[in-house]
Amino acid sequence: MKVMKKALLTALIAATPMMAQVKEKIEVPYIAFPIKMGKGFDVVQANCLMCHSFGYIINQGRQSKKFWEGKVNKMIVHFKAPITDKDKKIIVNYLFKHYGNGKEQ
Amino acid sequence: MKRREFFKTAAVTAGAAALGTTAAEAGVTHQPIDNRKVGNVAFPEKRPLITYSDRPPLLETPREVFTCALTPNDQFFVRWHMPDIPTYIDMDKFTINIKGLVKKELKISLKELKEDYEQVEVAAVLQCGGNSRSAFTPTPGGIQWGSGAMGCAQWKGVRLRDILDRAGLKKGAEWLAVQGKEKAAYYETPNFIRELHLDELDDHVIIAYQMNGEDLPYLNGFPVRLIVPGVYSDSWIKMISDITVTDKYQKLFFMDHAYVVPDNECECETPEKLFPKTKPIWRMNVKSIIGYPENGAKLTLKSQAVVRGVAFDGGAGIREVQISLDGGKTWDKAILDSGKLGRYAYRTFRYGFRPDNLGKLEIMAKAINKLGEEQPLAKDIKWNHGGYKYNGIDVVTVEVV
Repeated sequence: MKVMKKALLTALIAATPMMAQVKEKIEVPYIAFPIKMGKGFDVVQANCLMCHSFGYIINQGRQSKKFWEGKVNKMIVHFKAPITDKDKKIIVNYLFKHYGNGKEQ
Repeated sequence: MKRREFFKTAAVTAGAAALGTTAAEAGVTHQPIDNRKVGNVAFPEKRPLITYSDRPPLLETPREVFTCALTPNDQFFVRWHMPDIPTYIDMDKFTINIKGLVKKELKISLKELKEDYEQVEVAAVLQCGGNSRSAFTPTPGGIQWGSGAMGCAQWKGVRLRDILDRAGLKKGAEWLAVQGKEKAAYYETPNFIRELHLDELDDHVIIAYQMNGEDLPYLNGFPVRLIVPGVYSDSWIKMISDITVTDKYQKLFFMDHAYVVPDNECECETPEKLFPKTKPIWRMNVKSIIGYPENGAKLTLKSQAVVRGVAFDGGAGIREVQISLDGGKTWDKAILDSGKLGRYAYRTFRYGFRPDNLGKLEIMAKAINKLGEEQPLAKDIKWNHGGYKYNGIDVVTVEVV
């Protein structure tokens, strides 16, 4: 009887999940997004990758120069990315050239 | 551009989602992009999903999943904001910290949350405010989601109100700032915090540790996240660390700048003339998605075909889903499930018919909620700069052979 009780108790404990299914560090995979190479790419890589993947850039859709300028400004003003004025210009030109819609505005 | 050409143009590369829309006429809202395939790499606890970014992880659920009332955990969409999300949480040390204008500060372990409070459950839809953003023209900034930045789950946890009652609110307490554990790369970057007014806290707002009978997946906010039924997902803070009670509203980047729509009747504006005043997105509008058949599917002439999908709104509840097979000239009622999951969950619908003409067939689905609000045609949805709250009548085009 005592043995049975113990078995029952063990079964009860086992049935109450107190821990996550994941008991070790999760590993978020690295995805090689097909970013375009070109003038200014090194600057994009140095400044943008700190916070987000290239996927975040290429999945914004084709956009105007004003849009990309606005995005880079947002990273500087709101997200406090330390991007210099010189780098900002290079990044905007790169983004507009490869992910632009041809429109300035 | 014809639909078929459009599909070809937006081809999928290397498991990554394709670049946004190039097809539509300027200014006219159209069907969201729907030709993306799941990636070939699975994220932790997930099946391969449509993959927009790995850091932060941004994953979309494919359309075929939207025939089920509850979205399986391993197919549930994922959306984070910051590059640094914890990849391990030591459950011996983890606590939810209740602080600020409370009589007694609390540090609640997961064990205490499960044992010392009344346990409650709610089935509710979680949808990103930017779901279906790719429908808008010109392309608003942000991830060009198709229709799968949403899911519905059975959430189990503890009422936030019960926790606040235990802590005891001090005089003047009015706002709650809920913060999760995701971190930016720079200290100065604003944290992802959501402010809730105490009046917005009904008994359905819970801190959940369980999703569809399992622990929350890490990527959906393990160990605990906020559940705010009927409301867009930017309020459903993941991996909660702190809840701070304050007397004043703090101005926040994500609430006051990012997740906002024009504060006018139509919640609309034009790219040339943005509306000066904005408001945070909050309650969801009425929407439905066809899970089966999918775009490009082949149906057999004169066969007994079925259309299946899900419908939901911000909590009024779904009254009806209607199907049109003639471009919206006539509409016929679909059969709804019993609704036993409650007014915040998906209502699944099904509609049987016999395709009696060869060639292309457009299937349209329109949900109407209990307030009489119904989905508009995509083309009648006006633009907003964030591309939020798209809820156009869903259209899939199949071929009868």
